[in-house]
Amino acid sequence: MTIRTPDGTGLGEGAQVPLMLEEQAPSRRRLADSQPATFTGRLRDNLYYLRGRGALEISIVYVLILVAFVVASLANPGGFAFLNSNNLSGVLSQNIPVLSILAIGAGFLMIAGEFDLSIGATIGLCGVVFIRTANHTNWIVAFLATVAVGMGVMLVNGLIVVVTRIPSFIATLGMSFFWTGASIYINGSTPATFFPGVRTDTMVNLMAGNHGYFRSQLVWLLVIGVAAWFLLHRHRAGNKVFAVGGNRAAAAAVSIKPNVVRLQAFVFLGLMVGIASSLYVARTSGMQPGTTDSYTLLSIAAAVVGGCSLTGGRGSVTGMVIGAALILTIENGLVLGNAPGFYVQLFLGVAIVIAAVFNKFMEGKAT
Amino acid sequence: MSAVAEDVSRRAVSGGEPLLRLEGITKNYGPNTVLKDVSFGIGKGEVLGLLGDNGAGKSTLVKIMSGVVPMSSGRYLWEGEEVQRVTRPETERRGVETIFQDSALVPTMSITRNIFAGREMTNRFGFMKLRAMDAITTEILDSVVSIEGIKSARQLVSSLSGGQAQAVAIARAVHFKRSLLILDEPTSALAVRATEALLDYLVQLKSEGVSSILVTHNLHHAYKVCDRHIVMNHGRKILDIRREDTSVEELTAAVVEGAEGVKRLRQGTPLA
Repeated sequence: MTIRTPDGTGLGEGAQVPLMLEEQAPSRRRLADSQPATFTGRLRDNLYYLRGRGALEISIVYVLILVAFVVASLANPGGFAFLNSNNLSGVLSQNIPVLSILAIGAGFLMIAGEFDLSIGATIGLCGVVFIRTANHTNWIVAFLATVAVGMGVMLVNGLIVVVTRIPSFIATLGMSFFWTGASIYINGSTPATFFPGVRTDTMVNLMAGNHGYFRSQLVWLLVIGVAAWFLLHRHRAGNKVFAVGGNRAAAAAVSIKPNVVRLQAFVFLGLMVGIASSLYVARTSGMQPGTTDSYTLLSIAAAVVGGCSLTGGRGSVTGMVIGAALILTIENGLVLGNAPGFYVQLFLGVAIVIAAVFNKFMEGKAT
Repeated sequence: MSAVAEDVSRRAVSGGEPLLRLEGITKNYGPNTVLKDVSFGIGKGEVLGLLGDNGAGKSTLVKIMSGVVPMSSGRYLWEGEEVQRVTRPETERRGVETIFQDSALVPTMSITRNIFAGREMTNRFGFMKLRAMDAITTEILDSVVSIEGIKSARQLVSSLSGGQAQAVAIARAVHFKRSLLILDEPTSALAVRATEALLDYLVQLKSEGVSSILVTHNLHHAYKVCDRHIVMNHGRKILDIRREDTSVEELTAAVVEGAEGVKRLRQGTPLA
C-alpha cells in the first residue's frame, strides 16, 4: 500500500503505515445518520448551536436580574417599587421599546459591518419633522413624513459611506453634526411643540397609550421585533446582511452585492429611527434639537450588549431587544434603589463593559 | 520564449468549440502590468492546471475569469460568443464557480447558510426553508466530499479547520452543478485523504462534462489529474501543453526558471 504525503511524493511500498490512517479508512460515520431524531435530541442540538451566537447567554443574565428585582420588590414594595404599575408602565414600557427599536436598527447595520453615529441627531430631526408636519396636516401624514425623512437621512449617510469608501464611523460622525444643524435650521433653537389639539386622543392612544401595566409602545416593539426577527433570521435578505458583514469578498463571490445590502441596512435603520422618534415625540410632545445625542451610543451599546459583533456578521434581534431592556432595567433598578445620579452612570458603564467582555468570551465558544 | 508557447498551444486546443476562451488578456494595476497578452481556451470536461510561481499572475487571471476584477484589454468568449461586460453576476449565470484560497466562506455563518448564501431556497415570499436546506447540506457533506470531523450542517464555519472549510466550499460548487470550476490553491490546507478525495472528484466531474481549472503550486497534484497545463511566468503564458507531452520535470523547470528552463531541458542540459 502506498501512502501519499501532501507533497505527493509518497512514502513508497512497504513504508510504515501510521495506525491512525488504517483506523480511519474503512467506514466513516455518516453525518445524516448522526442527526438527532427525537424532540429532546433536537432541543439539545438547538441549545448547543445557540451558544455564543447572540441572545442565549444575555437572556439568562437578564432573567436573573429580573428575578432579583422582582424578589427585592416583593420583599420590600415600599422601598424598591419595581413591580409598581407606575414604574412598569411609566418608566419601563415607555423607554425600553424606543431604545429597543433603535437597537434593532443599529444592530442590523452593525451585522452588515457598518456603524451610524448620527442616530441621535436623526431622532432630533425626525422629531422636529413629526411635530411641524402634524401641526400643519395631521399625525398620520406626520408619521409617514417622519419615517420617510428617517430613511432619506440614512440613505444619504449610506451613499456617502458606499460611494466614497470612507469608514462609516467618520462619515456618520460628521453627518451627525450636519443633521443636528439641519434640524436647528428647520426649527430654530427653541423646542418644537404641538399646536393645541394636534395631539389627538387617537394618536396618543396608539403611540403612547397607558394600559395599566404597559403602554402602547410595547405593542409596537412586539410587532416590529417579530417582523425584524423574521426578516433577519429567516428571510434571504437577512442572510445577505450576515454574509456581507461576515466576509464581504465571499459574499461578492456568490453574486451578493455588498453595496446594495449595506445601503438596505442603512435605510432599515432610518425606518427604525423614524418610528422610534415618532413614538418619542408622541409621548414627550416636544423636541429640542440637539438633546437626543445620547441615543446614538445607547442604541449601539444595546446592540453590543445583546451580542452584535463590532466587526460585523454576528448578532440577533432577540439580543438587541434584550440588550436595550438590560441597560434600561439596570438603570431603573439603580434609580429605584436611590443610587445618586453619579452612581447610575458609573454602574451602567461597568455593566455595559462587562456585558461586552462576556459576549466576546462567548463568541470564542460559538460552534 | 514565445516560440515554445506558440508551438504547444496550437497542439493543445483540440477540436470543437472551447467552453471558455480568453484572447489577449492584459491587466494593468496603475503602471504595473500583471498580465501581458494571455490567451488560452478550456474545453468542456477538460481539467486544466494553471501553474506558476508567486507573482506569476495566476490569481489575477482567476479573478478576471470569475468576473471579480475587470481586465484592462482582451476578449472573453463563452462558447464562442463574446461576453461584453465580464461581471460576477454574468459569469455566475454562465456557471463559473470559483473557490478562492482565502475568502470562500463567511466564518460567522453556519455551513448550511454558507452553502446556500445568495441562492437560498425560499418560499415565494423570500423566507428560507431552513430545514430543507439543512437536510440537503447534510447530504452534500456526506456524498460529495467526505469530510472528517464535521458534526452538523448548523456548525459555524469559524469552528471548522482550514481543510474542512475548503471542502465545504468545494462541496458548494459541486452541488450547484457549475459548468466551470476554478479552484485557487484548493489543496494547500487539505489533509492527505481529503486531497486524494478532491483530486479523484475532479476526475469524476470531468466525466459529467464539468470543466475545472486547478491553480496550484503543487506540480504533483496538477500532473496527476490535469489534462493540460498552462505555466505562467511574470504575467505571460510561457507553456501550454498536454499532459502526455510533458513531465513533472519539465513543468518544474518552467515554473522555477521560466521559458529558459524548458528550452534548456529540451536541449538536454540538466536542470541547474
